[in-house]
Amino acid sequence: MGQLLSFLYRFRAFFTFLLLEAFCIWLIVRNNDYQRSSFSKTTAGLVGSINESTENISEYFSLKRVNQELAEENARLKSLLLSNPALPLVSLSPPPIVSDSTDSLIYELIPAEVVRNSIRNTNNTFMINKGSNDGLEAGMGVINSFGVVGKIRDVSKNYAQGISLLNTRNPISAKHKISERMGTVLWEGVNPQRARLLYLTPDVGVEVGDTIVTSSFNSIFPKEIMVGTVRSSEPDKNNTYLNVEIDLSVEFGSLSFVYVIKNHVKPEQDSLINTNPQLF
Amino acid sequence: MSKHAIFLGVSFVLLLSLQVLVFRNFVFVHVGFTFIYLLFLLSIPVDSGFTTGMLLGLVSAIIVDLFYQTLGIHASAAVFIMFVRPIWMKLVVPRSGYESNELATVGNYGISWFLSYAAPLIFSYCCIVFFVEAGSSQFFWHTITKALASTVVTLVFVVFTQYLFYPKTS
Repeated sequence: MGQLLSFLYRFRAFFTFLLLEAFCIWLIVRNNDYQRSSFSKTTAGLVGSINESTENISEYFSLKRVNQELAEENARLKSLLLSNPALPLVSLSPPPIVSDSTDSLIYELIPAEVVRNSIRNTNNTFMINKGSNDGLEAGMGVINSFGVVGKIRDVSKNYAQGISLLNTRNPISAKHKISERMGTVLWEGVNPQRARLLYLTPDVGVEVGDTIVTSSFNSIFPKEIMVGTVRSSEPDKNNTYLNVEIDLSVEFGSLSFVYVIKNHVKPEQDSLINTNPQLF
Repeated sequence: MSKHAIFLGVSFVLLLSLQVLVFRNFVFVHVGFTFIYLLFLLSIPVDSGFTTGMLLGLVSAIIVDLFYQTLGIHASAAVFIMFVRPIWMKLVVPRSGYESNELATVGNYGISWFLSYAAPLIFSYCCIVFFVEAGSSQFFWHTITKALASTVVTLVFVVFTQYLFYPKTS
């Protein structure tokens, strides 16, 4: 026993090292799975508020660009509104209102501001200034006016952490808009402006410049949200799949305002999938 | 250690705030990250022991991790270099030898000693951080480039900070 103790004492530095490393590895492994809780709820508030106050300073420098983006989006939405024919107030025909529109409300957009964003890691994340107090939950999709940004991974009271599309472990179901063929968009890990569209077969005629949008095969994003445009496309060596490289439509380096998508029918869709798991 | 406790405490607070508030936002030419807070860990006196060093490394790196959203990665790298540091220091003894209770800085032991002492430690730190973060060797060359560039950038900032703000007397 004494020998054992003296052995432990002689190599105490090494054992402390092992102990501390084991603790670190436990932290890494616990946070490795991106679906699971990753930032502790206790520190999220403090870290988030420090992030937000530094973001408050730096956001002045991008105000002009952000204003312009918002104005352009307003103009686009205005033109959409104007393209709807006005209701004939004095007319013999009844107004063309089919039913109560609140029944058909599926997606609700919650605006939020990005307080922290990374693009140079292999698995990038971002943080926004809305949390469970604003109705956010893990698993919701995040977009901005240009296209898909990512999804929410974890929420605290006032902040939420998301995994951006620039994450090698975050595949997104997408389709080639012209041919309606499905594929998976996955980031390659190096260039924040490019990603790859996987699993398209060579019989699909993919041209440079074609639009890639989200598919309707997920309950996170509404269908036909912009993802990017085709940059290059060529068949792989065995001629089984196409190697499609796409230019992402979102400029991740200057992410500022985003919308979180709340899908009101997602619980219903999920429960249906859970009751018949073998079908999906 | 005790002689420099106030100086180390102040540099701990200042360097960590610099790290998470300023340097986190800059990546030079897309690959060069700056880990200025390593200056605090590297400057701890020679004879302060394994356990103190590793605990200080763990605490400061976990604070960095919280802001980088990579809980555990920086911590494991910092604990590793703080374990290797005393062993490495025995191998790269400056010409005049170490003085007890003196900070391991350029001002005390000279620039050539500091570079040979700090460069391998910073490089192994960057390697651990970027390889664990990538999670695979799939992006081997990209990751190695990132580690090398970050080592150079960090080293430049660490040395210049010492010339500008650290006491010069030995």
